[in-house]
Amino acid sequence: MNKERRDFIRKTGLGVLAGICASSGLIQAFALEETVLPAWDEKPVPGKIRWGMLIDTRKCRQDCKECVAMCHHVHNVPDFGNRKDEVKWIWKSSYEHVFPTSTQQFRTKEVLERPYLALCNHCAESPCTRACPTEATFKRWDGIVSMDYHRCIGCRFCMAACPYGSRSFNWRDPREGIKEASVDYPTRMTGVVEKCNFCSDRLVKGLMPACVESCPEKALTFGDLNDPRSDIRALLESNNTMQRKPELGTKPSVFYII
Amino acid sequence: MRIKKMLLLIAVPVLMLFAVVAFFRQPGHAETAKAPPAPVAVDSTKCIAPAEYMRANHMQVLYAWRNSSVREGNRVYIAKNGSRFQKSLNTCLGCHSTNRLFCFNCHMYANVKPKCWNCHLSPMETP
Amino acid sequence: MIEKALKGTRNYWAWIASLLALIAVGITAYNRQRWFGLTVTGMGRDISWGLYIAQFTFLVGVAASAVMVVLPYYLHNQKVFSKTVIIGEFMAVSATLMCLLFILADMGRPDRVLNVLLYPSPHSMVFWDVMVLNGYFIINLVSGWTVLGAERRGIPPPAWVKPIIYLSIPWAVSIHTVTAFLYAGLPGRHLWLTAVLAPRFLASAFAAGTSLLILVTLIIKKVSGFDTGKEAREKLAVIVTYAGLINIFMIGTEFFTAFYSNVPSHKHSLQYLFFGLEGHYNLVPFMWFSLILGLGSLAVLLVPGLKTSPKWLAAACAGLVVSIWIDKGVGLILGGFIPSPLDEIVDYFPTLTEVSVTVGIWAIGMLVLTLLLKVAVAVKTQE
Repeated sequence: MNKERRDFIRKTGLGVLAGICASSGLIQAFALEETVLPAWDEKPVPGKIRWGMLIDTRKCRQDCKECVAMCHHVHNVPDFGNRKDEVKWIWKSSYEHVFPTSTQQFRTKEVLERPYLALCNHCAESPCTRACPTEATFKRWDGIVSMDYHRCIGCRFCMAACPYGSRSFNWRDPREGIKEASVDYPTRMTGVVEKCNFCSDRLVKGLMPACVESCPEKALTFGDLNDPRSDIRALLESNNTMQRKPELGTKPSVFYII
Repeated sequence: MRIKKMLLLIAVPVLMLFAVVAFFRQPGHAETAKAPPAPVAVDSTKCIAPAEYMRANHMQVLYAWRNSSVREGNRVYIAKNGSRFQKSLNTCLGCHSTNRLFCFNCHMYANVKPKCWNCHLSPMETP
Repeated sequence: MIEKALKGTRNYWAWIASLLALIAVGITAYNRQRWFGLTVTGMGRDISWGLYIAQFTFLVGVAASAVMVVLPYYLHNQKVFSKTVIIGEFMAVSATLMCLLFILADMGRPDRVLNVLLYPSPHSMVFWDVMVLNGYFIINLVSGWTVLGAERRGIPPPAWVKPIIYLSIPWAVSIHTVTAFLYAGLPGRHLWLTAVLAPRFLASAFAAGTSLLILVTLIIKKVSGFDTGKEAREKLAVIVTYAGLINIFMIGTEFFTAFYSNVPSHKHSLQYLFFGLEGHYNLVPFMWFSLILGLGSLAVLLVPGLKTSPKWLAAACAGLVVSIWIDKGVGLILGGFIPSPLDEIVDYFPTLTEVSVTVGIWAIGMLVLTLLLKVAVAVKTQE
């Protein structure tokens, strides 16, 4: 029986991921998310919190990719090395791509050449959730535009609706593209859309989003936009900031200091 | 003429069958166990519900947990005896992954292929 | 009544067999797609809809065009369409079926398709589209089949079918309006974000769909000898002409607004489609071919006397179908994704798998249409 079982595991290839984890040294660090009470143990009040992010692009270094690497690692975002099948939650791009409708004339060379982070804006008026025919993507009680991967039918309407190109589709089995698997977060499956979840998986454990935590320059600030005493609100008040494509009325929750 | 009719009458159902098979066919793990599952002794003092109940209703429980925690943010489950649990598959596997064939034993026997492990780590994959 | 489809000539069976062969090719390709995922298609992160959704959009138009015979026949008592009506209705049935199959083929998780009904979301246009398409499919199948069945027995059609037929008229308009709303309500896709999209969809549908109807009646005449009437075809050709002209006019208004206003995001997609953008000229020859073919076909239809010749009529109709297929079925869908939201240009090429699935679905549609029309012709000619 035991041998049969071992054979079964080997044959079905289910042990592969476990093998990867073990070989990458995760085995010591491993702990399934502990069965403890989370920070919020009641059903939350919708609309009370609105999570937001402020990116100080002046601090962002050209050669650094810590936030992208950490985010994609902890969330098991696959990398297939080609643009067509690409899946990404957060990435670096240039001024003209991140702010195509904003002023480009007579901007200093430094501003135009600086890297800019692009991620889901978790819009207050999100066009993607409006387009979704099954409410697989929906606006959460805390302003996060969330994905229910169990429900997504893969029609890709949200991808057409998103004016920021923040959504990716799993054109193929994502597990083939994960080099170092993280055990803290599930993978996705072929045929569903995915995107940045503002680290709702980490927020529930009382942690800051992965990108915010990993930034060596502390360029990212995360907080409650509805709380007038939060750090992010203080920074928004003391700095001149910008949102991506504000003319579309989507009310992004991600702000940029240029 | 009879042959042509036969052609249509055979080809159409065969193609429909093809289509249905193609539609539902998925990369999966198609192996079934021969022997019935052996009962496993588990300390159930910290269970979310009695084993008999869970055997019959685990899918409903998981479904309800998934919906209320993912969609409504209601992440805490209060059991009959008053103990509180986080609504997460990891809560179940926190204890049950000691048995690597938990889930698989019965599902293989009953030839049920849930899609949980397409994304979540199964007891077999947890290190 | 269906048994009438089982009696046919050698050529009929050869046609059926070749369609079945194409369906088998399509299913094999689809099987591959289910196994490996949609990566086997040419679609990608930047161009996330391709050939499937393009076919769907074009075919909704074909389905809607049935109203162009149903309306004059039932509401205005135009007896000249008495033999054409059933062909229009059955064409709508097969076109709607193809639409639904193309949506299914495009889905990443078709096994969850019922989620659309289990979690109805009235804020989503897809939900409404699924509703109206299924409704249209049933309405046309029921009304066409019932009227035909009554005719076979030589009795007047039952009274309950009349309201259903009347309902099909606004319903036809609704399917294409809702389909246009799928695109016209998305911020940041400027080629689609235009109020004229729904009217343009209807105009191009009544041009291309009705052209296809004329072609089908010509083919039926040739292969079975059953003639729906020259006069009916000429009347339809008039509808085609005006609908085609209105469509060209509306394409012109799009150009005016984009280029006169000089707003870059409004111009970019049209520039990419018709003139090329930043060194990408993929679709330019197709779009000009479509435009010139469309104008040429309309010119033929406008010259007095030419459309009375079946050859010229068929050529003009075929030209218009191809022209609008390119414009609406290729240009509009791909153009909406280029440039991407981050102002990048990515080209799209359909793969062999994708094309095979597409051909397979067309073959299913044509098989259903053939069987339905075989029954219709058999009843009409009282074989």
